[in-house]
Amino acid sequence: MFESIDQTIDQLAAQQYLCDRPLATVAFVAHELSKPILIEGSAGVGKTELAKAVARALDRPLIRLQCYGGLDESRALYEWEYGKQLLYTEILRDKISHFLADTADLPEAIERLHRHEELFFAEHFIVPRPLLQAMRSPEPVVLLIDEIDRAEEHFEAFLLEVLGEFQVTVPELGTIKAKTPPYVVITSNNTRDLSDALKRRCLHLFMDYPDPARELAILRLKVPEIGEPMATQVVDVIRRLRRLDLRKAPSISETLDWAQALVLLNAESIDRGLIEQTLPLLIKYQRDTHQVSERMNWLLEGLPDAEPEPVQHDLHGPQPPLRPPRKPAVPDLQEMEARKKEHAARYFGRDRIRPDSASGGG
Amino acid sequence: MDAAVNRFICLLKRNGVGISPAESIDAMRALACVTPADRETVRAVLRSALIKDRHDIPMFEELFELFFSLPKAAQQPPSEPDATVGAPPLKAERIVLDTEDEGYTLSGGEPPATDEIKIQPGNLAAMGENLLLKRAQSLLDQVMQRATHQVNVRRAGHSACPGDLNFADTLPTLDADLVIDVVEKLMADLHDLDVDERLIEQFASQTALVLDRLPESLKRYLERELALQAIRRVDVEPRRPAQSYRFNEHERREMEEIVRRLGRKLRGARSYRRVVSRRGRIHVARTLRNSLSYDAIPFHPVLTSQRQEKPRIAVICDVSLSVRNTARFMLHLVYSLQALFEQVKSFVFVSDLADASQYFEQLPIDEAIAAVFSGELIDCDANSNYGRALEIFCQRYLGSVTRQTTVIILGDGRGNCNPPNAWALEEIRRRVKQLIWLSPEPRGSWGLGSSDMKLYEPICHRAEVVRNLKELEHVVEAWIHRSTTAASYN
Repeated sequence: MFESIDQTIDQLAAQQYLCDRPLATVAFVAHELSKPILIEGSAGVGKTELAKAVARALDRPLIRLQCYGGLDESRALYEWEYGKQLLYTEILRDKISHFLADTADLPEAIERLHRHEELFFAEHFIVPRPLLQAMRSPEPVVLLIDEIDRAEEHFEAFLLEVLGEFQVTVPELGTIKAKTPPYVVITSNNTRDLSDALKRRCLHLFMDYPDPARELAILRLKVPEIGEPMATQVVDVIRRLRRLDLRKAPSISETLDWAQALVLLNAESIDRGLIEQTLPLLIKYQRDTHQVSERMNWLLEGLPDAEPEPVQHDLHGPQPPLRPPRKPAVPDLQEMEARKKEHAARYFGRDRIRPDSASGGG
Repeated sequence: MDAAVNRFICLLKRNGVGISPAESIDAMRALACVTPADRETVRAVLRSALIKDRHDIPMFEELFELFFSLPKAAQQPPSEPDATVGAPPLKAERIVLDTEDEGYTLSGGEPPATDEIKIQPGNLAAMGENLLLKRAQSLLDQVMQRATHQVNVRRAGHSACPGDLNFADTLPTLDADLVIDVVEKLMADLHDLDVDERLIEQFASQTALVLDRLPESLKRYLERELALQAIRRVDVEPRRPAQSYRFNEHERREMEEIVRRLGRKLRGARSYRRVVSRRGRIHVARTLRNSLSYDAIPFHPVLTSQRQEKPRIAVICDVSLSVRNTARFMLHLVYSLQALFEQVKSFVFVSDLADASQYFEQLPIDEAIAAVFSGELIDCDANSNYGRALEIFCQRYLGSVTRQTTVIILGDGRGNCNPPNAWALEEIRRRVKQLIWLSPEPRGSWGLGSSDMKLYEPICHRAEVVRNLKELEHVVEAWIHRSTTAASYN
């Protein structure tokens, strides 16, 4: 149980999930009101982790529904187990003929069979999928609906009943209502807009990168082996990387991976060579790599020279916003030329259609 | 607290944030289960319950700061005497009534020295009469204007700086009680100043008269204001003699035919609904049902496959001067796409980009095109700026395209040496199923002058030259043909 906001923070921290107060407030209110939380944010800021931490903190089982294109209700909700139905019918054949032996005529037999019809459409012939599992579970659960933006719009509409009323309707069985409302966490990477009907039913949480102090705390918690000056250096470099105009800025998970790698490499402090070697852990696009190497000096410029004490103070105080140095105004034609080839390669590789100049010119 | 939150929600709504009653109720319930003493908690709770779109966050933050920065002020009902507005209240004491002047000017802004009111006793009655006999319209109007401003400031949510707020939109909703309030306040302010008591008394009696007539004058004033607004609007509209874009029946039919064929090429994603077909996966339930008559032996397996959905298209059309001669054709294409398929969004741009879907959906083609060129949506006389338009599309409308959408860009790619922002096009390409560029310019001149087509072309899945129906037909024909021959190799 979450008793108060402060306790929510503590309980989540005990599960190694450090959150700020607004986040804890939403988590607490969602628990109090039994409303789903819809979390938006870029990849790797800890959306899914929140659901896991809540499940551990509340000591509830976590049921996860991973969304993908083409997800339908037979994967999300339930499916009849036809094989089992058929098998049972087959096995019980004798029993049924025995049971119907003393009936006079066909209508009477059907009438008798009719009375036991519900046996064949009972709950034990259903394969429960995550949503139905969450509804039927005798103990309260945490239901995680991950990356809902990957599923189609139809699927959202289908979720509305689950999210609004915490019930699902199986035509043959009727409506199954959750005994205790599950704690629902929905995550979205925001690749498309969700419908208003879905948004209305949820509390919204926009997750962003944590502030340096919290990131430092997370880093110390998750990678305890990392040395003191190193941790602040890592956080500082990551913070500067995020100010660059990257296609995929490093998020917390990348920070942790990088720190882990630095620990494995036995690095003492961060320098240019080290960043260049370990860049693949942080940067996921070729284009971003160029940008980072161009601004390497700026990235390194704020590094404290292995003096842990004043930095600690610095992270809490108000700071002027970081601005990366301006790019030269003239576009880099060489780079564009290179990228053109890249595009062409992708183009021919995927679609296998040649854009011939002959048909376009006429 | 409830009342305060309610007013805050009203304020958000007035500023264009969509909030449903259900969400308001949620917010109230959520606040009930936390201790609302802590400002940050209240902020977090309200934001999570009310704000469902990340674009609304800055507006929320700004209004939250304004609204809850003066907690005491926020508790006051709006009709109470005004003590919350940070700026000094109505500067009515600075009114200079100069009876010598015909117009009874009211100079508000700068306080002229000490004795603010110069009213000659003999002229007071005349002034009152004049006020009432509408000969001093300008004076009355100024008083009214001040009063309404005052009221609007107060209604706009107890902000610290009235200058930030928009007076214009709430003007017609003014109610007279509040104005009377303000006039009384003005009287009180006069008392505070060292003005001759007798003068004030006389003025008071005059104002009583004015107050009696207030509703009429107010009505008159508002009517005039509204009339003014209407006139202003009319002034703006017919900026350009609307060119007539007539399309004959033959042209229309031909275009429809080609677009239909194009549509077949642009089919959307596989639907997750399955339909019975001759190929595909076995549908267990149906197979079982069909085989019941054969003792559950599945002689006739029922196969289902996924159906292709209807095309989803986003058309981005350049309507700048450089493509004006082909714009008619291009917009015709846009219109036909919109008319034939359900899920089509159309955007037009010159330097700004705007969603024009509603025009093409609701108006007949000639009117729709005239409406686009009338300059209501975007400034059609600006220089075209592809980079900016693509950037705007990325920022505002990228959410409206999905992996099943085909984006068609109609334009010549001449960005007038503005930054081409090819990254924006890349971003669009990443998000959509297909990106097609139809340019009216021959391929030979793509690299010449300020054309950025050389940059854009490799990013697009297809880039073609299309200037008229015939060329469009060729392109579509070649395209369908090629894809069918390609399919036969498989």
